[in-house]
Amino acid sequence: MRHVVILLRRELGSYFLGPIAFLILLAFQFIACLNFLQLVESLSRPQQSLSSQFDPMNMYISWSVPFWMAVLVAVPALTMRLISEERRSGTIEALLTVPVTEAEVVVSKWLAGIVMYLMLLVPFFLYLPFLYYQGRFRFDVGPVISLLIGLTSIGMMFVSIGLFFSALTKNQIIAAIWTFVMIFLLVVLTWVVYVLAAERQSDWSDSLRFIAIVPQLQVFGSGKLDLRYVTLHLSVTAFTLYLTVKILQTRRAA
Amino acid sequence: MIRVERLTRRYGSIRAVDRISFQIGRGEIVGLLGPNGAGKTTTMRMLTTYLPPTSGRASLAGLDVLDKPLEVRRRVGYLPENVPLYPEMRVSEYLSFRAKLKDIPRAIRRRAIDEVIKRCQLGEVEGRLLGHLSKGFRQRVGLAESMVHDPDILILDEPTAGLDPIQVREVRSLIRELGQRHTILLSTHIMQEVEAVCSRVIIIARGKIAEDCSLESLRSAGSIVLEARGPTDPIRNALASAPGVLRVNFAGRDGDFAAFEILPRDGADLREPLGQRLVQNGWPLRRLELSRTTLEDRFIQAVNRDSLPADDREAV
Repeated sequence: MRHVVILLRRELGSYFLGPIAFLILLAFQFIACLNFLQLVESLSRPQQSLSSQFDPMNMYISWSVPFWMAVLVAVPALTMRLISEERRSGTIEALLTVPVTEAEVVVSKWLAGIVMYLMLLVPFFLYLPFLYYQGRFRFDVGPVISLLIGLTSIGMMFVSIGLFFSALTKNQIIAAIWTFVMIFLLVVLTWVVYVLAAERQSDWSDSLRFIAIVPQLQVFGSGKLDLRYVTLHLSVTAFTLYLTVKILQTRRAA
Repeated sequence: MIRVERLTRRYGSIRAVDRISFQIGRGEIVGLLGPNGAGKTTTMRMLTTYLPPTSGRASLAGLDVLDKPLEVRRRVGYLPENVPLYPEMRVSEYLSFRAKLKDIPRAIRRRAIDEVIKRCQLGEVEGRLLGHLSKGFRQRVGLAESMVHDPDILILDEPTAGLDPIQVREVRSLIRELGQRHTILLSTHIMQEVEAVCSRVIIIARGKIAEDCSLESLRSAGSIVLEARGPTDPIRNALASAPGVLRVNFAGRDGDFAAFEILPRDGADLREPLGQRLVQNGWPLRRLELSRTTLEDRFIQAVNRDSLPADDREAV
């Protein structure tokens, strides 16, 4: 694993040598700005509801539609080229004929994806100290930290899924679409189905709640650091990374 | 240094490489010659551990490609076909990135990179982006990269493809120079290239080895064409009785002149003794030359040869 740092530096370098990282960062900055304005505005009004769903801090990230839309688009955009581009241009052949293992390649690309993903979250968390110190709104720091941990573990899972599809094809667009579909399923569809099931009090609504991302994030956002969710995300990540390594090892002539 | 035994690679039902065996010793420059799609690149990919063989064995520097792939990679420098590079990196940046991946110790890394930049004459483009380089420079960057860790074995897939004549000459002389210290296996479909740089040629066609011989034996094998003024039969007898002559064929008469084709034993060059013999007998010479089978003839022969040894054929 000693080559990981070398490979990671190249991956991050190639993100910032193209326009894509900057464009996505800009979009996230814009959304963070809008959300923050909304947060400040709703804090200045008297509390309207006791439900945690409508808690202003929760609305800021975990229940924010623009945030989820942006994540759904950004993760595939960040992960699509990681391996497929190397396959298309043939650099994968040069990469796997030096003393580097497939696992090192996969892990370094995954880490690069995580670093980029976390950078996207930076704008959201940048505003909070201002709210705390300048706005003198003394929110609890604990839930923010557990939310960050939750977002990170979810991000690890998302990036590993994106990396997996990137390894399957030479075509970035195909990789991006598949990644989008998978994440969309996890975030939106599962949640919609969960809400429907919960209304009808179906037996399996509980298991759906465990998979759907949005309710999970709500739990993290309310300050409950539920390790079951973290374990779920990390096991999916580990399994997907393992599959990605295996795909690279078979060297399908795709 | 390279040892290949009945190496086979299938893509589905197609045998891209079909039970090839050969050995390459230290310091040899071997050309892998073959038409497009003959299996050259697949063979090289197996030797560089990029593709696992379907069956058979291959070992480089005594290390098996399946058992010790990382060790093999450490000892091999590989220039893939079309030289894949990261377009967003700069030349020196790329070389240093690759040098780190190849575990060159920090203490000698800078020196190793400077050395290959000098040898491949990359000084003027050191700071340029790889994506902006011309084909010739890309090829040279690939070559520099393949030898930056000073490997025992260099495997070069079409090292001169897409270069202009001057660059081709430069790369060839570079390869010849490298051959003094490294074992080199290079693939090409250009005949002149093999003649210019290689000491041995392996012709491969439809996944099989069609010919494996040294360039020297290829050069020496040939017949002598001779025309002299005089009677046909006495000349023929005089030639046939000369030492070292295997067979004399009468090739026709042109006025006073008789033409012959002489096949020497062991590929020896008999022009001088034969010429002397005829002149001593008072038959003046008009023509006396060695006609060599060129590599091209051998290549076309080998590639078109339909009849393969029976034991090589497989029941379909």
